[in-house]
Amino acid sequence: MRGPTILKATDDKTRQLNDHTLLAFSGEPGDTVQFAEYIQANSQLYSMRNESELSPSALAHFVRGELASSLRSRNPYSVNLLLGGVDPITNKPSLYWLDYLASLAKVPYAAHGYAQYYCLSLLDKHHNPNISLEEGLRLLKLCSDELKRRLPIDFKGLAVKAVTKDGIKAMPFDEDDKVVRDT
Amino acid sequence: MASGYDRALSVFSPDGHVFQVEYAGEAVKRGTCAVGVKGKDVVVLGCEKRSAMKLQDTRITPSKIGLIDKHVCLAFAGLNADARILVDKARLEAQSHRLNLEDPVTIEYITKYVAGVQQRYTQSGGVRPFGISTLIVGFDKGSTTPRLYQTEPSGIYSAWKANAIGRSSKTVREFLERNYKEDMDREATIRLAIKSLLEVVQTGAKNIEIAIMAPGKPVEMLPVEDIESYVKNIEQEKQEEAAKKKTGRTPGTGTAAILTRSAQEES
Amino acid sequence: MSRRYDSRTTIFSPDGRLYQVEYALEAISHAGTAIGILAKDGIVLAAERKVTSKLLEQDTSAEKLYILNDNMICAVAGMTADANILINYARQAAQRYLLTYNEDIPCEQLVRRLCDLKQGYTQHGGLRPFGVSFIYAGWDPQRQFQLYLSNPSGNYGGWKATSSGANHASAQSLLKQDYKEDCTLDEACAMAVKVLSKTMDSTKLSSDKIEFATVGQTKDGKIYHKLWTADEITALLKKHDLAKEDTSEEK
Repeated sequence: MRGPTILKATDDKTRQLNDHTLLAFSGEPGDTVQFAEYIQANSQLYSMRNESELSPSALAHFVRGELASSLRSRNPYSVNLLLGGVDPITNKPSLYWLDYLASLAKVPYAAHGYAQYYCLSLLDKHHNPNISLEEGLRLLKLCSDELKRRLPIDFKGLAVKAVTKDGIKAMPFDEDDKVVRDT
Repeated sequence: MASGYDRALSVFSPDGHVFQVEYAGEAVKRGTCAVGVKGKDVVVLGCEKRSAMKLQDTRITPSKIGLIDKHVCLAFAGLNADARILVDKARLEAQSHRLNLEDPVTIEYITKYVAGVQQRYTQSGGVRPFGISTLIVGFDKGSTTPRLYQTEPSGIYSAWKANAIGRSSKTVREFLERNYKEDMDREATIRLAIKSLLEVVQTGAKNIEIAIMAPGKPVEMLPVEDIESYVKNIEQEKQEEAAKKKTGRTPGTGTAAILTRSAQEES
Repeated sequence: MSRRYDSRTTIFSPDGRLYQVEYALEAISHAGTAIGILAKDGIVLAAERKVTSKLLEQDTSAEKLYILNDNMICAVAGMTADANILINYARQAAQRYLLTYNEDIPCEQLVRRLCDLKQGYTQHGGLRPFGVSFIYAGWDPQRQFQLYLSNPSGNYGGWKATSSGANHASAQSLLKQDYKEDCTLDEACAMAVKVLSKTMDSTKLSSDKIEFATVGQTKDGKIYHKLWTADEITALLKKHDLAKEDTSEEK
């Protein structure tokens, strides 16, 4: 029994599916990693077999299918997912929201868990379709500040990765700033 | 050999041969030539490419060099369709290994797997062996030691410094035996691979494919212009050598076709 | 020596050949000619249909050309019964891919699926290989228009113009002579009828002797494929002055 104990604060809750697609997950800790790595392996197998990558859209639908059949099995995965990627052919970015009931939605921004309650209103207000990476990071900072300010549980900060047409890279983000000062 | 397909197609003959496996070896010899050469910290695969006919669409004609995983490269000689099936099995195993063991396969492991599949097809009911030999190259995770393995239709696998399979492979192997040096750098390794292929490929750069692997880097397919310049360079050198022929001996090319006819190769 | 190696399932002959596969290829070389030509804005497939009897219903179904998927069609040369099995398999594979990924299957993958099945029949005991070659025409976002040819061994390759079936050697040399890079779909159609008219036994073509299909792109970028009707084929033949005269008494 772990109880209310912090085991690890720097766990990477993302898996890279191929050069241009990243999967982030939350939910039952065992399920999430197991499921994400299963998807990752299948995605990479596809890339090797076909010498081309699945598009984010194709991957999202594949994940949805896998979740849907898992949901109807004896022991379903309890995993919530965000899938972001850049289409290798059209170079268009896209984001998909999936929950453990295998709903799939293509969205401009998304959040899972308690974060939704604090962040979606900010995202609603500040997001626009032509937002740049820099603006996006600034908006993410607003979100993380809000979480620090309001979330009753101890918030350990965010790990931020950016998916661009050139690949996936970790972004420096708010590394030492633990407390939000009054504005 | 009894009739009925539930029996193994490849069974021992009274004098101890498994004919189907030997015949599969013949199918390999009918395939285009492939060479593999290890350098100090690089390993090169070279392939003879059947000359593309004018109307062939080169962008979608399958290559004889393929990736098993990001760090493992395979070239084959023999029946193309058989190779596709075998490569696919190997790719599946490589990813399954990553998923289950959290590590990429070692080159030896995947070679052993490929050879194992090939062996199974020499002993199972109602199947014929794979009509291919493969060269498998790459670097194990975190290692800078180049690896080069060969597998055969029988399921035998072996490690090599440099080797050739397919049409006229004996000529090429003999050439490699004469010219191989330890600890070659990248340039020398590529050069040796191309030079050895030129023993059997008369038509030059457009019929050669070269793949280069270095530790921790993705595979690099050498552009045809680069191969061209290597070929030119090598030919020039050959001519110079021929000019001052009196002392040195030049490797013979004329007898290539006849040499391979001598059936069994034990090496 | 032959009987030992060509009478049963597919096994290697002493010189490393697969006779069953070679015989299957032989079977195909007696079938009606099929050709495919890649143009910059589309692909044309054309096939000769052997008319065996006047009583045969001509317009009910295509016999040589089939739709595999929203983005792909194929022409068949060889045993139609074998082809039906493979076409069914291909259609299922394409739909399964669509169900899994919500995208059309890339052309090469569909070709490879079929070829893997064909290969299986050359390696596993008790089966004979499929006696069909296919010419595939398709489009996908990665490689745009593509033309493939596959044969009973399970080999396949990409082509700019190719042919299969009876007289394919002469068809191929005609194609080689006439093919122009960057030709338009219309030019490709013209070339197709011209080549067919030269390779087929009869001097004048008619719509009941050939089948015709095209893959192309509409102005708004959508991919379409079309199996031509008899009237459309007749019109095309007329245009290129290859049609049988209407006034000729005997068909």
